[in-house]
Amino acid sequence: MNRTSSRIWDAITSLRLTIACLALLMVLVVACTLAQVDFGTFGAVKVFIRSFFLWWPVPGTTWSIPVFPGGALVGLVLVVNLVAAQAKRLTWSWSKSGLWIIHAGLILLVAGEFVSSAFQVDSQLAIEVGQTLNYIEGREPELAVVDATDPAHDDVYGVPESLLAHGGAIAIPGTPLSIQVKRYFRNADLAVRSAAEPPSPATAGVGTGVTVRELPPVAADNQVNQAAAFVEPVAGGRSYGTWLVASALGAPQSFVHEGRTYQLVLRHRRQYLPYAVTLKEFRHDVYAGTDIPKNFSSLVHLSNPSRGEERDVLIYMNQPLRYDGKAFYQASFGKGDTLSVLQVVENPGWLLPYVSCVLVAVGLLVHFGMSLSRSMRRRQVPQEA
Amino acid sequence: MKRSVFPSGSGDVPSARRSVPAPVWAAAAAIALLAGCRREEVTHARVPKLPQAAEESAAGGGGVPGMLLGRSGGAADVPAPPAPSGAGALRWTLPKGWAEAQAGGMRFATLKAPVSGKLDVSVVVLPGPAGGELANVNRWRGQIGLPPLDEAALASSRRTLRSRAGEVSLYDFTSEGQSRSRLVAGLLEANGNSWFVKMVGDAGPVGAARPDFIRLLETLRFEQN
Repeated sequence: MNRTSSRIWDAITSLRLTIACLALLMVLVVACTLAQVDFGTFGAVKVFIRSFFLWWPVPGTTWSIPVFPGGALVGLVLVVNLVAAQAKRLTWSWSKSGLWIIHAGLILLVAGEFVSSAFQVDSQLAIEVGQTLNYIEGREPELAVVDATDPAHDDVYGVPESLLAHGGAIAIPGTPLSIQVKRYFRNADLAVRSAAEPPSPATAGVGTGVTVRELPPVAADNQVNQAAAFVEPVAGGRSYGTWLVASALGAPQSFVHEGRTYQLVLRHRRQYLPYAVTLKEFRHDVYAGTDIPKNFSSLVHLSNPSRGEERDVLIYMNQPLRYDGKAFYQASFGKGDTLSVLQVVENPGWLLPYVSCVLVAVGLLVHFGMSLSRSMRRRQVPQEA
Repeated sequence: MKRSVFPSGSGDVPSARRSVPAPVWAAAAAIALLAGCRREEVTHARVPKLPQAAEESAAGGGGVPGMLLGRSGGAADVPAPPAPSGAGALRWTLPKGWAEAQAGGMRFATLKAPVSGKLDVSVVVLPGPAGGELANVNRWRGQIGLPPLDEAALASSRRTLRSRAGEVSLYDFTSEGQSRSRLVAGLLEANGNSWFVKMVGDAGPVGAARPDFIRLLETLRFEQN
C-alpha cells in the first residue's frame, strides 16, 4: 500500500471523521426540526435527512449549488467509517465481542435509515363508518386513466406525478391511448373563467370554463398542493381534445373511444390492496366534562378472500394493525367522528431499528459485564495474595 | 500515535488488515445503489367497481356541488361553469360585522362571519340543476357524516325562505358524535343556474352565526354589474 492510499485509509478510519459525522448529524437534526415549520415533516426530512446535499438556488439563475452535506451523505460516510474502523482496529477475540456487537448495532441503525429512505412508503386510509375500501392513498397526485366500460370492474392506469411533471407523450400500456401532457402545475388555484379572459387551453370538458392560476408548491403538514394539468388523450391517431384535470375538480371527466369509456381524474395516488377494510366503528372518547381526548380507536373488519381471512381488528393509539407488510396507525378523524384516518406505513426495514437497539444493548451488557468480571478478578488476586 | 474509536485499548492491528477496504467500498456502493434503484412508471390495477356514493365520499367531497354529474359517464358530459357576472349575478346585504373575502377556487364568493371557531361560508354557482337537489343535499350530509335522505325525508327537512331573487330552500343539519359539525345551506334556482350559499363548521360557531346567515339569505337579489 503506497503512502497516499495509507493516508486515505487512515482518514477513512479516523475517530475525527466519526466525531465530525456525528456533529454534522446533530446540526442536520436541529435544522430539520426547525425547518418543519415551513416544509412540514415529510418535506423537511426529505430536504435535510434523506438527501445527499443541501442545495442553494443561486438567485437570478436556474442553478443550484450544494452548500452542506445532507443526512444521506453523512450517514453513508459514517457507515463506511464505522465498518472500516472496525475492520482496521478491532481484533477478533472473545474479549472484544461486546464491541463487535455494539458496532454491528450502530451500523445496522444507519443502514436501516437508508432502507427506510429508499423503500418506506407512507400512505393514508381515510374511511367512513360503514364504508369498505380496497385502496390506500399517498400524498402525491397521479393522473388516473380509468377504462370504466366493464360494468363489474374498472381497469385503472395510474400515471405518477414524476411523469406528469416531465411532460410529453405518455403511452398507457394495454390501451390504444397516449396522454400528451401539455402543462403540469404542482399547485394551482382554479377559478371560474370570466368573459374578459383569453380562451382556455382546454378544448373539452369542464376546463373550458375554468382559469388555472399557478401557485408556489406548499409542503407544510396542514397544507395540500392542488395539482392541475392540461392533457390531450390521443388514440388511433385521433385527438380527443385538451382537458383540464385537477385535484380540485371532484369528478372524473370521460370520453368514448371505439365503444370504450375512458375517465380522466387527477387525484391522490392510489395503491389497490388484495384485501378490503370496512370501518365498523370509530370511537373518540373524552374525559368526562372536558374536551380532552382519552381515546381514539377504529374497529375495522379485514376481509381477504384469497387467504380465507375474515376478522375484526381494533386499531388504537400505538396499537397498529400490521398486515401484509403494512402498518395501519390511528392518525386522525373528522366529519363529526364518522371518518377515521389511518396512517399506512410500508417499510420492509421496520424491524432494523429494534434489532439494532437490542444489539447495542446486548453489546454494552457483554462489554461492561466482561470489564466488571475482569475488575473483580483483579481485586480478588491481591486479597488471595 | 493512532487513536482508537473504542473505549478500551484495541490498539493497532497488523498492516495486512489495511487491504480490507474493497468489501467496505462494495457495501457502501450497494447501499447507495439501493437508494436510487426505484423507478416510477404507469401502474395498472383491475378493481371491482365501488358503490358510487362510497367513492364520492372517499374523494373527500372536495369538489363543488354538481361536479358529481360527471360520474355517470358519457363523452364530455361535465358542464362548464357559467360566467358569474352580468345580468344574472347574485348580490346580498352583509349582516353587521360580516365581510366578503376574495373568491377563491371555484367559488363565486367567500364570506367571513364575526364568530371564532371553525366556520366556512361560501357561495357557488353552477349551470342547470347541478345534479339535483337530493344529490346535493345528500352530498352535504355526507360531508358531516350523516346518512343520505330519500325524497320524502328531503321534503320534510326543507324550509323555504323568500327573497327578491326567488324562493330559497333552506337545510340545517347537525352531525352526531363528540365533536359535532353543523351545516346550514340555502339553495336557489334562478335564470337557469343553481346557487348554493352554504355555511359549515363546528356546531357552536355555526349556531352563533345562523341568525345572521338567515337574514343574509333573505336579502339575496340579482343585480346588474
